Amino acid sequence: MSDLAIIAKIPDVKSAVLGDLAGGFHDAVREQDGETVAAVMGFVSSAMSSAGEQLGLGALRRIAVAGEARGCLVLVHGNVVITASVEPGKSVGAVEKVLDSTVHGRV
Amino acid sequence: METILQGLMELAGVRATMVLDGSGQLVAHRGQSVYDRSVCEQVGSTVTKAIESIQLQQDDWETITAQFADGRILVRRVTVRADGPKLVLAVVADTTLNPSFATVALRVAANKVRSMLEGGASQPPAAAGSQPLGAPGASSSVLSPADSRPVLANTGLSWSKSSGAGSQLGSQAGGSSTAGLSGVAVADPASAAFLSRCAKELARHVGPISKVYVQEAARRVSPDAPFALTASRQLIDDLSNQIEDPKDRAHFRKAALEKK
Repeated sequence: MSDLAIIAKIPDVKSAVLGDLAGGFHDAVREQDGETVAAVMGFVSSAMSSAGEQLGLGALRRIAVAGEARGCLVLVHGNVVITASVEPGKSVGAVEKVLDSTVHGRV
Repeated sequence: METILQGLMELAGVRATMVLDGSGQLVAHRGQSVYDRSVCEQVGSTVTKAIESIQLQQDDWETITAQFADGRILVRRVTVRADGPKLVLAVVADTTLNPSFATVALRVAANKVRSMLEGGASQPPAAAGSQPLGAPGASSSVLSPADSRPVLANTGLSWSKSSGAGSQLGSQAGGSSTAGLSGVAVADPASAAFLSRCAKELARHVGPISKVYVQEAARRVSPDAPFALTASRQLIDDLSNQIEDPKDRAHFRKAALEKK
């Protein structure tokens, strides 16, 4: 099973998108507008990577965005960017923990 | 504002804290020496671009946490009012940061910033001709020379008259003054107007905290009597020390003296 499929099966993960740092779209699970998600999160990941470089924080690993109703997790490994949409937003932390135990080191 | 940021700095692992406005400008910051103003400005601009993009997907975001190999950037939205300034509170931390503690601390700090700004924003607008400047409730902590100086920019909040100040100024100035600087006693309306002009001019260089700087300076140069225009040069000298850039400092001095 691909990492994308594994992530998409985590409870409260509504959809998952595989993209890259250039904003390119590769694959999606339960996401109708994967191209847009990949483009936006590719840019966000690039911008955050730049901020990390400016601050000397090393390579970007993950971005977690949390709101009341929804949130998302962005996993970055090299050029690969995986975005998981999470509902409700308070589940972002729980999904992060599951990710750590299931796909840690694989993406 | 600095007190709030300093509180966050005391959390283990925190290297820098900053408040950014909607355009990515640094409103205030505290940080270790390597995270000086220019670095924080660069980072603020970059982080803001990321936030703007995130808002395309999720405009109701509350927190953003970026985890790096050697640290984290935590961002929390500070919404004062629906039509108020869009501020974000950001923390840069190393790997020793306790994320749970940081989440709580950031939430508390964001609430404090919100309360501070709401307190000022709820006051009535200032005298005619005043411009939007900043947070009237902002407070300034005493910084040691080793600390990086807080950098404050225009947040778009209203330059407002404190009701307490108005009464104080009004009573001391025969009720004819409409300018407001809370807690500063003035000898006459002209002195009150001068203080307001100084604050406006200073705001061009240090941002909304200028009002607080003027209040403090007026008390310093005239501790035992109401501030009067006779102490205006002393006040300008005192306020000049709040401006880091020599060019800006000279510009402020020139402009303030012209307005004397």
